[in-house]
Order: sequence, then C-alpha cells, then structure tokens
Amino acid sequence: MITLQSISYVRLGTADLDGATKFATEYLGLEISNRSKDSIYLKSDRREHTLCYFRGSPTDQTVAFEVSELSELELAASELDRLGHRVRLGSATEAELRRVRSFIGFQDPTGNHIELVWRPAYSGQRYHGERDAGITGFSHIGLCTTDAARDEIFWTGVCNARVSDRIGDAALLRVDQVHHTIALFPTDRAGIQHINHQVATGDDVMRSFNFLSERQVPMVFGPGRHPTSSARFLYFQGPDGMIFEYSSGVREIADELLYRERQFPFDPKGFCEWGAKPQIREFRDWARPHVLD
Amino acid sequence: MVELEQLRYVRLVATDLGRAADFAERVLGLGPIDRTRELATFRSDFRDYTLAFVSGDRAVQSVGLEVRYPRDLEAILEGLRGLGLRVEKGSGEDCASRKVKDMAWFMDFSGNCIELVVRPLNSGWRYFPRRDAGVRGLADVILRSVDIERDLLIWTGILGARVSDWAGEAAYLRFDDAHHRIVLLPAARPGILAVEYAVEDVNLLMRNWYTLRDLQVAVVHGPGRRPASEQLFLTFAGPCDVLFSFVAEGISVDERHRARQFPAGPSGLCNWGSECKISEFNDAARVQNGRSITARTGVS
Repeated sequence: MITLQSISYVRLGTADLDGATKFATEYLGLEISNRSKDSIYLKSDRREHTLCYFRGSPTDQTVAFEVSELSELELAASELDRLGHRVRLGSATEAELRRVRSFIGFQDPTGNHIELVWRPAYSGQRYHGERDAGITGFSHIGLCTTDAARDEIFWTGVCNARVSDRIGDAALLRVDQVHHTIALFPTDRAGIQHINHQVATGDDVMRSFNFLSERQVPMVFGPGRHPTSSARFLYFQGPDGMIFEYSSGVREIADELLYRERQFPFDPKGFCEWGAKPQIREFRDWARPHVLD
Repeated sequence: MVELEQLRYVRLVATDLGRAADFAERVLGLGPIDRTRELATFRSDFRDYTLAFVSGDRAVQSVGLEVRYPRDLEAILEGLRGLGLRVEKGSGEDCASRKVKDMAWFMDFSGNCIELVVRPLNSGWRYFPRRDAGVRGLADVILRSVDIERDLLIWTGILGARVSDWAGEAAYLRFDDAHHRIVLLPAARPGILAVEYAVEDVNLLMRNWYTLRDLQVAVVHGPGRRPASEQLFLTFAGPCDVLFSFVAEGISVDERHRARQFPAGPSGLCNWGSECKISEFNDAARVQNGRSITARTGVS
C-alpha cells in the first residue's frame, strides 16, 4: 500500500510562459516564488511552490503527492513495478527542479503522470498573493480517467485513497480528512481535468466571480455549491484550456469508521445545489452512471 | 418617545393586478391571501400579509408601520403636525381593507405616504408558499427621499428610529434589533425603490439567483454583500416600477452601535464587486465625488 500524505504540486507545460505567468499571478492570484528562463514557480500557501509552469507541450502535465519516508519511495517503486507500471527514479537535477529531496515518477493506468515526492520544500515566508483572492492553498485536482472502475481500484487499492462520494461513476477520493484530494472524471484522454485552490470564505468566491468576469476570463461553472463536499465553488478557464477552481467550505471527514460514501446523480443537480449548469465537458458528457440514474 | 413596533407591509399601486399577483407568487414565492378587483395581498411570514397590490383611482403607494396603542398613534400625529405635515386618520373602511384596528397616514417631506397601524392582523396559520423560495419574511424597504435631512427629522425625531449607518447620504434606519428596516436614499423623486424579503441563507439566495435567470427576471444588483449591514442581497426588477430583493444573513445591532460612514453608490453597497444597474445608486456615487462627505456628517 502506497500511503499518500497530501497533494504536493502540479507541473504544467505551456507554449506561452509569459501568458501563463500573467494569468497565474494577476488573475488566479498566486505569488511567484522563483523563476528561471524556462519555468515559473508559483506559491499558494506555506509550501515553496504548488504550481510550476515550464516551456513545453501543454499535454505534459504531472501531479505529485508527498510520502512521509524515503523508504516508502522504494517500497512504492517495487510495488508499482510488480503491477507492471514503469517506474523512473528522479535524478538529483530533476529533484532540484522540483524542490524535493527525492522522487519517483510513473503513470497511472490511464496514463496520467504521477510523481511521489519526499521532503518537498516549504517556504520560510508566508504566501502573499498578487491580488487579494483569499487563497488559503492548493487543495485538490480533478484527474482524467479512461476507465473509472479500473482507476478507482488503483487509487484505493494500490494507494491509500478512499471514496468519499460518487457523481455518476466519477469517484471523489480522499487521502486525509479533506473530502477529496483526487476526483476521477471519466473522459477520453489522460491529463489533469481541473486544479483547485481553496479560498477563505464564500465571499472570496463571489468577489473572484465578479473580478474575473469583468476581465473576460471564461466562466465555465458556477458560482455554485457542491452537494457532495458542501463547498462553494467557481470554475473558470486558464491558459491552454486548463480549468481552475476556487472553493470554500469543503467538508472534512473525521470518522473513517462511520462515514459511508453516497451516490449522486451525474447531472447538474449532482454537481450544484444552487442550479448552476456546468460548461465543462467532463461534467456534462461523461461518467454515465452504472447503478443509478 | 413613541416607538415603532414593526415594519408591517408595503402597498404598491398596480395597473395590472393580475401580472403583479403572478410576480408575487411565481417570482417572489409569496402566498396569496385576499383577492378582490382592486386588491391582492400576499403572505411571507407570520403576518397576515406583507405585500399588497392595489388598483383604482384612490390607490396610493405606501409603507405600513405598526405602533402599539391608539394613544401612540395620537402622540405621533401630534408630533407630525408640529413639523407642519398633513396627517389623516383612516376610516373604518380603510382599517378593514388593511385588516388593522386603527390607523393614520401622513406624507413625508418628499411625498412618500407612510401608514401607521394599530393591531394589524397576524396569521394563525403558518406561511406555506407554492414555490420553495425560502422566504423568511419582509425585511426592509428602501425609500427614496428628495429632502433627506428633513425626512430624517421625521424618522429620528418623531418615529423614534435611529441611524445605524450611512452610505454616502443614504441612511440605514432601525427601530428593532435588525440593522435596518428602512433605508432613506437621496433621489430626484419620491417612492419605494426596493422591497426586500429575507430568505433563509446564502444557499437559498443563490438558488433564487439561478431561478430568476430561468424565469428571465432582470437582476439589477448583486448577488452581493452590503458592507454596512453585512447582508447578502440580490435585487431584481418587479412590477409597479418597484425593485425587489432577496436578502440573507446580516448583523443585528444594539444601543452601543455607532453609525459609520460608508461610501456612496455601488462601492459602499457591495463588497463583492457586483454589477449595479440601479441609477439611484450610481448617481449617488457621482454626487459624492463632487462634494465632501465630511461636511454632511459634521466632522469638518
């Protein structure tokens, strides 16, 4: 069993590094912690960075999870190898680029690039965004799956994720008390489906809705409230078509023994209890439920 | 000093009673109570009605406020006469059509009609509307004033209301534990700008926002949050040339509360940055830019 402690960072390739930087700082509200000729490191909380854009293909997307012991990297590598996943041990240079001590990389069954990292860098200084978006931190990702049942088994069987709820066949998975850290959305591709940052209050969600709308940032879903996690949310489109989400008030699951996951419908009501309708293809056209309608 | 007990109702003059009634039920989610050729009333809470549409030659737009005893009514009328205002006692017929024991009305300095009523009818049955809009009840009324300083003399001097906060020249007035029940807003003409209904919480407010979109009702301000009262609001167009709002949350204030000065116009009325299409609010911001607010509040 691979024990994921928390989500660590996302690395995204982009053909327009300047455009991505402008979006991430002026619109999304992240803080630049570091930049090089080919990459920009962005901070959203106490960690040194939680998002990195680098010059490259926009399809080159990676998400990293933290493990607590170096030995767990080795155990994970042999377990993944046994299951037929090709595991790559990161070089010292690569580790330096990621601000971690050590890491391994592999692909999940869908082909998503996953990294497991040990001792990712924290920052001595607190996060102070480019604008007052109220961000409290990078929190979760939506991950594409080409086979929801298979990938749910991978994340819950090989790793320590637990199903918190399902919307149709889309499983919302937790690795700690937070309702979900990984959300698996059935689709026809590999990659990161959305990137979530938590904001302090519902007011922050609404302020950003007006701020970003005035600047013609495409709103693709919300403002709304998820019946699953009870979080208030806003989804909007960033560079290279990536969907970003702000949310506030996500539910925490304290009692592992008593909690039972629930089945929600794969329709707008399953995604929003206020009546917002998603313009996101993975929330509209996929994840046909196999049990309930 | 006499005290106002409650904000009771608004009476709006409808040219098309059917259309207005449809709005009250379908959009606001209120429950229909009485309906005649010239009157339609709607329930929103424990009160028999809080919204009345009236038609006919004698129909006048008004706001109804409750006072406790007939002697309070007399005392208020005495004070109003002292300010040189014309006051009039309601007839038995007037009382019956409003379902009150006793009543009087006056015109403020702007020309707004204010009705004062004694023992208005409460409902024995709870409010149960057709649409689940989550309405909790009539919360407050935004009233235009063409002479805000003199109109404030009525509210604070005769009716015992207190200023909770200022937004530009607009005054939030309270007479119970709510932050405000009446907002006096400087404007070029008199009349009710908006009638505001409280809904349960933010979820109901936002759900109503999407419902209003589906119903193709024009939202003119919000959803947003008011800096002074911390109320969430959503203001939309209604019949009778009057706006309606759903509001939720908000602070309550007590005797220790000190009135604060907030900016005029949209920046002082929403801290979510929502779009404002209400000309009175946008005009207020322009007026403020041309003149010092400290002069008005006496700080200078």
